[in-house]
Amino acid sequence: MTDRTAELVAERELAPEEIAAALAELGLAVRAADADTIERVYLDTFDGLLHAEGLTLRWQRGQLELLPAGRGDIPFAAAACPDPAGPLPVAQLSPGPLRDALHPVIDVRALLALARVRVHSTPLAVLDALDKTVARLAVETPALVSGSGREALLRPRLRLAGVRGYERELALVRDRLSGALGLEPAGATLADEAVRAAGGRPEGTGAKVDVALDANERADAAAAAVLSRMLEIADDNLPGTIADTDSEFLHDYRVSVRRSRAVLRELKGVFPPGELGELRAELRWLQQVTGPSRDLDVYVLEFDATRALVPGEERAELEPLRAVLGGRRLVARRQMVQELRSPRAVGARARWGSMLERLVALPGEDRPDATAPIGELAAARIRRVYRRMVRMGRAIGPDSPAEEYHELRKQGKELRYLLELLGVPLFDAGVVKPMIRALKGLQDVLGRHQDREVQTATLRALADEVSALPGGPACLIAMGVLVDRLERDAAAARAEFADAFASFASAEQRARVRKAFGA
Amino acid sequence: MSIVLATYNIKGGVGKTSAAVNLAYLAARGGHRTLLWDLDPQAASTFLFRVRPKLRGGARKLVRMHAPVVQQIKGTDHDRLDLLPADFSLRHLDLALDAFKRPTTRLARVLESVTPDYDYVFLDCPPSISLVSESVFEAADALLVPVIPATLSSRTFEQLEELTGDDTSGGPVQVLAFFSMVEARRALHRGAMARLREVHHLTMLGAAIPASEDVERMGDERNPVAVFAPGSIAAVSYEALWWDVQRRMRAGR
Repeated sequence: MTDRTAELVAERELAPEEIAAALAELGLAVRAADADTIERVYLDTFDGLLHAEGLTLRWQRGQLELLPAGRGDIPFAAAACPDPAGPLPVAQLSPGPLRDALHPVIDVRALLALARVRVHSTPLAVLDALDKTVARLAVETPALVSGSGREALLRPRLRLAGVRGYERELALVRDRLSGALGLEPAGATLADEAVRAAGGRPEGTGAKVDVALDANERADAAAAAVLSRMLEIADDNLPGTIADTDSEFLHDYRVSVRRSRAVLRELKGVFPPGELGELRAELRWLQQVTGPSRDLDVYVLEFDATRALVPGEERAELEPLRAVLGGRRLVARRQMVQELRSPRAVGARARWGSMLERLVALPGEDRPDATAPIGELAAARIRRVYRRMVRMGRAIGPDSPAEEYHELRKQGKELRYLLELLGVPLFDAGVVKPMIRALKGLQDVLGRHQDREVQTATLRALADEVSALPGGPACLIAMGVLVDRLERDAAAARAEFADAFASFASAEQRARVRKAFGA
Repeated sequence: MSIVLATYNIKGGVGKTSAAVNLAYLAARGGHRTLLWDLDPQAASTFLFRVRPKLRGGARKLVRMHAPVVQQIKGTDHDRLDLLPADFSLRHLDLALDAFKRPTTRLARVLESVTPDYDYVFLDCPPSISLVSESVFEAADALLVPVIPATLSSRTFEQLEELTGDDTSGGPVQVLAFFSMVEARRALHRGAMARLREVHHLTMLGAAIPASEDVERMGDERNPVAVFAPGSIAAVSYEALWWDVQRRMRAGR
C-alpha cells in the first residue's frame, strides 16, 4: 500500500499563498476552504499505555477519538464525551467500540488529560487541470494551552493526505513543498510534541526499576542506585495515590516501599545501623498505613470475579456486600491520605532521600559490607534466601497451619525482589529468568491460598454490618456460599502446592542456583 | 457486508447517472464508505466527478483481474466516495465477459475483490439488455429503476420485470423503482404515477425526482446537486429517495 499521508513541520508560519505559488509550478492549483480553530485534549494513562501501543487518544468537539499514531487523521473508534478535565476511568465511557478498544489496553488505569492544544487549521485542496482534487493539505498552527488559558505556539505543521488513485501527485506535492518551503518530516506527532511542551513525557511514567549495575561496584553504591530509583517511583506515584486517580498508583507506591524494605533487610551490612533501624521502622509503618486501602481496592476491583464463584441465582444477592466494601474503602482511604500527608510521612521521605544521598560518603567502620562487590553480596543473599525457602517448603504438608504457607510466601517475595532488582542486572539471564518463572508459579499458588484465607476472614468480619442492610439476610446466605467456595479454592491451592514447590526446589533447579550463585 | 445498488433502465436519458451520482454522494456524506462503478462507456459519472475517463488496460484487463482492481479506483473530491472510472473500452464489456465460462457471474467476482473496503457500491449501468445487464442483476442486491411517468416509459418497467423474474416470487434481486424527471403540473404525469402506484406487485418508492434545472446543471457544475444547490427541490428529493432506499434495504436484510 502506498503511503497516503505525510506530516511536515516548519520553523516559521506558513501562508496558504506561498503553498499555492510553490504548487503552481507543478501545474496544480490550490483551493482553500474555511479556516477553523478547534480545541483538542490529548489523553493517555500515567504510564503511557496507549503510546506504547502506537495509539493516540484525543478529545475534540465533544468526542473522544482513538487514532493509530502517524497514519492520518481518521479515528477508528469514537464516542461522545464531555471535556475531560479530571481523570477518566474507562468504565465511565459509554459502552461501545471506543470502550471496547481501550479496555484491553488500559484496564484499570484512568485516562489523564496530558496536553490541551488549540489548532488553527486551513484546509486546502490541491487541484489538477480538470479542477479535480488530487491531494488534500491542512496548514495547522497549533498552540499549547496552559491551565491558566495562556497559549504557547508550537511548530506549524503541514498535513498531507492523498486521494486514492493519485499517489504520484501526492509524492510530487510533498517533494515540491519540502524543497520550496524548507519543510522537514515531522519526527513526532503533534500529540507527542504537545505533551513534551507541557512538561510531560509522551511515553509516560513507568514503574520499572531497570537500574544497570556492575558486579564489581561497591555494594553501598549499588544499593543507593537501586533504592534511589524506587524512591523516585514512590514519589511519582504519591500524588495519584492521594488523589485516588486510579488504583495502580497506590499499588506501585506500595510495591516500591516493599521492595525498598527487602533491599534494606537483605543488604543491611551496607547501611549505618542506627539510621537503618529508623528507616526500616518508618517504611514498615508506611506499608501498614497503606495496607487496608489496597486490600479494599482489590476487593472492589475483583468483586465481579469473586462473585462469579457462587452459583448464578445467588450472585445478585451479594449486591449489599459491594456497597459495604465500597463504604469501607472510602473510610480506609481517608485514613490513609491523612497519614500520607502527616509530618511523620513527610519526615520519613526526607530521611529516606537524605540517607541515600550520603550513603557512599558515610564512614565505613559500622558498615562491614559497604565496599564489598555487589555481585558477591547479591549472590550470597540469593543463595541464602533460596535455601531458606527450600527448607521451609519441605516442612510444609497438607495439614500445616496457614501461617506456614504465609511465611513461605513472604520469603518468596523477598527472593523475587532480590532476583528482579539485583539478579537480572548482575547474573546470567539464562539462570535468573527460569528461576523467576518457577518462583512465580509457586507464588501464584501461595498467593491464591493466602488471598482466599484473608477473603474468608474479611467476609466473616463484615457479616454484622451486612445483616443490618436491606437485603442483608439473603446476602448473608450468599456470603455463606461464597465462603464455602473460597475455602474450597484455598484447599485446591494447597493441593497444587506440592507440584509447584517440587519444580521450584528440584535437584536440577538447586544445581543451577549453586552454579550461578556459588556454593 | 457491502450493499450493492445498481441504477438501471433499458432506456437511456431517464436519470440513471444523476441518481447514481447523487445517491452515492449522499451515502458517503452519511458516513458510509462508498464506491461508484461507472459501467457506461459514455463515462458520464466519471465526467461528473472530474476523473479522467481512463481504464488502464481497458475493460478486458479489468474483468480478467490480472492487476488488482483497486489500482483502478480513484478518490473523488468528496470524503469516503471513490470511483471506478469508465472509458470507451467498456463498449466491448459484453465480449470481455463472454470469454468466461460463466459470463454472468464474472462481474460479481470482480466486484468481490473490492467490496470489503466499502459499505455501499453503486453500479451505474449502460442502457441496454445485454450480458452486462444480466451480470449486473447477478451482482446487485437491488436495482434502482428510474421511471419517467409516461405510458411509453412505464412499459420498460414491465420488460425489466420479465427479465429479472417476478419480484414477489422472492427472486434474487430486489427491484425498487422511482419516478424520475417528474413534471407535476402535467396531467399525463400525474395520471401515469397514480396508475403505476396502484399496481401492487411493483415497488414504487415514495420519493420522486422532479424534472429540474438543478439536475441539468450538474453537467456544468460537475458536482452532485447537494453540493452546489443544497436545499433545492432536486437535492431534497434525492435525500428523500436515499432515505427510502436505505429503509428498504434495512427491511430486506
